[in-house]
Amino acid sequence: MHDKTVRRRRALLVLLVVLSLLLLTAYFGEAPSGRLHSVQRGFLTVVSPIQDGANKALKPVRDLFGGISDTFHAKSQRNELRKQVDKLRRQLVADQGEKRSYHELLTMFHLDNRLSVANYHPVNATVVGKTPNIWYSTVTIDKGEAAGVHVNDPVINGEGLVGKVTQVASDGAVVSLITDSTVGVSARLGTSGATGIVQPKVGDPNDLLLQYLRANTQVPKGEYVVTSGTVAAGHDDSLYPPGILIGQVTSVNEESAYTSVNVHPIANLHNLDVVQVLTSTSGSLPTNLAHLASTLPSGQTQGGGPTGEALASTGAAR
Amino acid sequence: MSAPSAGLLARIGALSVALVFVQIGVVSEVPLFGVNVDLSPLLVAFVGLLCGSTLGAITGFVVGLLVDLALVQTLGVTSLIFTLVGYWSGRLRELRDPQAALTPLLVGAAGSALSLVGYSLIEFLLGVDAPVSLELLRQIVLGVVVNTIAAVPMWALVRRTLEGGLPDDPRRRRRRRAYTTGGLSPLSRS
Repeated sequence: MHDKTVRRRRALLVLLVVLSLLLLTAYFGEAPSGRLHSVQRGFLTVVSPIQDGANKALKPVRDLFGGISDTFHAKSQRNELRKQVDKLRRQLVADQGEKRSYHELLTMFHLDNRLSVANYHPVNATVVGKTPNIWYSTVTIDKGEAAGVHVNDPVINGEGLVGKVTQVASDGAVVSLITDSTVGVSARLGTSGATGIVQPKVGDPNDLLLQYLRANTQVPKGEYVVTSGTVAAGHDDSLYPPGILIGQVTSVNEESAYTSVNVHPIANLHNLDVVQVLTSTSGSLPTNLAHLASTLPSGQTQGGGPTGEALASTGAAR
Repeated sequence: MSAPSAGLLARIGALSVALVFVQIGVVSEVPLFGVNVDLSPLLVAFVGLLCGSTLGAITGFVVGLLVDLALVQTLGVTSLIFTLVGYWSGRLRELRDPQAALTPLLVGAAGSALSLVGYSLIEFLLGVDAPVSLELLRQIVLGVVVNTIAAVPMWALVRRTLEGGLPDDPRRRRRRRAYTTGGLSPLSRS
């Protein structure tokens, strides 16, 4: 009797382990349109409204804990932010004049149809779920195909770039955050304009790495990093419009051939509540540029640089 | 051990589904020391500790599958790890039946460590391009510490929810009788 129980217990363990391995192998080997991926999308469609309801019901609890955590940081941030506001106000006045001249020049040289956030149809979505582990940085949102959301659509919030859509169901979607290992954003430094690719520092969910900058690039600490408006071929197929704030430089690492810098994300990715998906309709400028980027061979790079940026820069479609 | 009752299975099922939703909707949104508490390995470890290896392994597989489906992660990874966590904690109960007050804390810590390290190993095997950095180790250690803190209320919740449906264990019944009726007294032996 005892032997039978032991045999049954071991057989069950082996069965479950084998089943897990089979699932893992089949899922890993199949295309995103495969059967298991479809089952997953179907599950997302079913649970998305439930998650949405649960999210709304549990919001006060989340806000309570979030509020306590935010209070600890608020005081230290206040004084620093006041200084920043003063500095930015002075900068704004100076920039307004330059902006007017810049627009006049763009119109004069017919360069005024560059891609920008205004070319997209923003869809507001509520975050209804988030991964708890350090290997996946994804959130689930309550808008999907029915609202015009597609895979690779950029996702932003009021603070800056959040990530991109990686899976879509009819009434829900999964957004991979910029701290997810699958995301690589083509970016440039705010003032110098040096370009590179922003990728997450795996294992550190609060830090990003701007890589492949030319050696000896001068990068001041605190410099802003924004999207460059090109596709990071071989790293990411998503086309982010230029000028979206990604983060701020915290330190610089000099490597043998290239410079890389640590970047702290501007958007608070721990407390995402509402995000905006930048959707586009077929035939629009973003869709055409994204299509152009995906059809270019990956070897074609901008200026032969090491960043792997495809030629489909946001101004090259005309 | 006798077959689990339908009531116990229903309680485990309801608790698993509710906790996975609470984890995804609330707990994952509130970082503690820069990391998130992960309730799911704690749930699996405690079901194993209370119900034995068979139910522990099955719960681990189902909870893992639910997590992978809901979070659109690689199917099978979490199931594999949680199956082992549930089975191991169940075996611990069947072989040692630890009664110390610190047992849930230690089992929670070990279950979380097994889950985090196992996850990292599988991700490396699947080809995630990441260095084994000190920062990664720090995140794993912090994750275990935070989960260990959460193990105390989690143990109370799981035990309270499953208590009514747990099958009577002859070993515990003997121990309880000895404790309450003075089974070790010379009088009781006569």
